[in-house]
Amino acid sequence: MVNIIYPMAALCLICAALAVVMLFSKDALTCAMSLLGVLLGTAGIYGMIGAHFVATVQLVVYAGAIMVLFIFSIMLLNLKKFGKDFHVLSPKFLLASLSALSLVGIGSWAIMQWSPTERAQWSNEAMLAAGGNTKVLAHSLFTQHGIAFEAVSIALIVALIGAVTLAKRKF
Amino acid sequence: MISEAHLPQILALFLFVVGMTIVLLRRNTIVLLMGIELMLNAANLSLVAFSRANGQLDGQVMVFFVITIAAAESAVGLSILVNLYRNFGSINTDRAKSLQG
Repeated sequence: MVNIIYPMAALCLICAALAVVMLFSKDALTCAMSLLGVLLGTAGIYGMIGAHFVATVQLVVYAGAIMVLFIFSIMLLNLKKFGKDFHVLSPKFLLASLSALSLVGIGSWAIMQWSPTERAQWSNEAMLAAGGNTKVLAHSLFTQHGIAFEAVSIALIVALIGAVTLAKRKF
Repeated sequence: MISEAHLPQILALFLFVVGMTIVLLRRNTIVLLMGIELMLNAANLSLVAFSRANGQLDGQVMVFFVITIAAAESAVGLSILVNLYRNFGSINTDRAKSLQG
């Protein structure tokens, strides 16, 4: 078993730094690129902890489709000309950042109190013996969660038809 | 001591708080939608990491559903944003206050 904690910590640091860039950047396109970096880094972490299928879906749907939608909207609305929408050094912004940081501190302390217990129904070895992460996940998705899967597909098509109608109609 | 089960949880917490701060502070609607995506992504990360730590698969199935709903949410959000831009000539949230009493 390879020790993955150092590469994972490096990815976590990159993701956190890109998220902070996203918070403080004035340019919408910089925000979009940082979000893309965070999503790619998260996909890497998914791969490291063994969720291969979720990592692939993250790459295709999030880093592919949703980011294209965002960048296309930025291009369509020509966001360059709007300029900045906030001041970094305003008291409101500093106060909010400080309280957010304290929230992270308290939450991290709470997380460190948790000690993971090994209830390994699907350990790495069991997963490999059953045919790998994708096969096991697909089996669970189409048997145990079959109705939820169909409901989500209906929700997706309703939302997409609604989005097209909303964008076409003049209000 | 920090372990590989704690690390993704702490990152998920950080990403969620940053996304929440973006949603609360920024005025640019498209950045606001990106903040929502960041929060959803943080929740996904937490679910996958817990599913790994507990040796269960249900968390990963949930993440699959959340990603689907996030795609639908961003499509609807961006089409609302296009309409907002058509009506107000700006996507700044300060301009859209017709519902203010």
